[in-house]
Amino acid sequence: LSKKVQAIYLWWHKPVIDQELLQSLPNLKVIANSGVGMDHLDLKLVASFGVKVANAPRAVSSSTADAGMALLLASARRLVEVHHIAISSSMDYCEADILGVKVSGATLGIIGMGRIGYKIALRAKAFEMKILYHNRTRRKAQEEQAVGATYCEKIDSLLQQADFVMVVVSLTPQTCNLIGKRELELMKPTATLINISRGAVVDQEALVMALQTGVIGAAAMDVTYPEPLPRDHLLLKLKNVIITPHLGIKTDKATYMITEEAVENILAALNGLPMPSEVLPS
Amino acid sequence: MWYHKPVVNKELLQSLPNLRIVASSGVGIDHLDLNLLSSFGVKVSNTPFVVSTDTADLGMALMLASSRRLVEGYEMAVSPDTEYFPADWLGTEVSGATLGIVGMGTIGYKVAERAKAFEMKILYHNRSQRKKEEESAVGAVYCKKIDDLLQQSDFVLLAVNLTPQTHKLIGKRELELMKPTATLINISRGLIVDQDALVEALQNKVIKAAALDVTYPEPLPRDHPLLKLKNVIITPHIGSATKKTRRIMMEEMIESIQAGLAGLPIPHEVL
Repeated sequence: LSKKVQAIYLWWHKPVIDQELLQSLPNLKVIANSGVGMDHLDLKLVASFGVKVANAPRAVSSSTADAGMALLLASARRLVEVHHIAISSSMDYCEADILGVKVSGATLGIIGMGRIGYKIALRAKAFEMKILYHNRTRRKAQEEQAVGATYCEKIDSLLQQADFVMVVVSLTPQTCNLIGKRELELMKPTATLINISRGAVVDQEALVMALQTGVIGAAAMDVTYPEPLPRDHLLLKLKNVIITPHLGIKTDKATYMITEEAVENILAALNGLPMPSEVLPS
Repeated sequence: MWYHKPVVNKELLQSLPNLRIVASSGVGIDHLDLNLLSSFGVKVSNTPFVVSTDTADLGMALMLASSRRLVEGYEMAVSPDTEYFPADWLGTEVSGATLGIVGMGTIGYKVAERAKAFEMKILYHNRSQRKKEEESAVGAVYCKKIDDLLQQSDFVLLAVNLTPQTHKLIGKRELELMKPTATLINISRGLIVDQDALVEALQNKVIKAAALDVTYPEPLPRDHPLLKLKNVIITPHIGSATKKTRRIMMEEMIESIQAGLAGLPIPHEVL
């Protein structure tokens, strides 16, 4: 059987692609990843076996951007908290416990202005938000103007001004622990951190500390490290934290599109044609 | 007046001979008998426009939270029993879906502006059609008959005010016209929806889900079936509940009161 396998469609990081697996599949030509994150793959190792790799960048952007906005709004308006108040058996609550933060007109700082980051900017603009962004490279002037985004060459400048900080970078050695104690302390004490990239981009211990001591106001995370967190982790117990189970691309439409994109790439690779979303080791 | 308290009835008005003005918080005035107040020579004011953006924001928040199963997801993420996140746990995509807005006033229009950025297809039903430029700006298509809107929408958002005409606007018939995959979002008033019909529709999968900022009464009795349905999100009437907006509302109410007491023209007077 192992000699027949020419392609792997990697669903949710399974199977684990390691030396052992690659050696056992001599005719493997292509691995198509469901999603856009590549941090779980050793690209050099895979390339050394002459196997091509593809991801699904187009399919994930809208649903992930939607999830980012969902988290931003839910956190600002305390949706999870107040829903529990609305359905709880007790009818007592304090008015102050249900007041949220106004989203329209607030400042959103987007860290990582790739496909997903830009879609977030498009959505945030409709909420009349002021948009700052930090990215490895600056976007073109028309792209900035279309969403009214201001470039912050230094991340510090973004962190100091934003009411909502949205992290939308891919996980690389450079972005690991990108948001640590120093960055959190630069943020406003009323600010919210939203992470829809990878858990490891944020120093989780520093985050817990910052939330407990009021260094920042709240956090909303679709991703953690590990996933799921150990059941006794402090992040699960903080009132001002919303955690969701990595649902960024988990919609019927997105999973369908991801699969379509994967199949396109697999067929192209098997037929020796250029792959639409090939990922090369950098 | 906050949250409809105190109740303004004949008894109260008779006991307050020098009452000049009732300043009501928010935009809805369905809880006030305007004719009765007028007969006592008492003026009325509200805070109409300041609530619009926050309420529109909340409408979007509810639509996103419901479609992406945010509350369920949160509970899974923090539950002591969770060992892994199932691979087949899915929500519904908002981007590119069809949103039907019932009531395209200030709030309805702000929802449309936001939904457009999510590449949603927007249908709307209103007493009157909006101007062409207003429609084009948000890509909204007018549905003269509410049935057309209900049959095509993935999300139906109610943004009308409560009047005798909109009372129970969404009943058994309307719910049955909706897609079985559709979600009802209510940011207007509880009485716009026939609540018993809604419970039945949700239990029998006539529609998929509901997200309600308003119910009748508020709050619901603690044993009400709406509180127990998994596919329902309820928030405690927080449409305008942000610190900034509440502050402005208070300022506007005081302005109206001061003007009323001084015999000057009242800003935001309701006639």
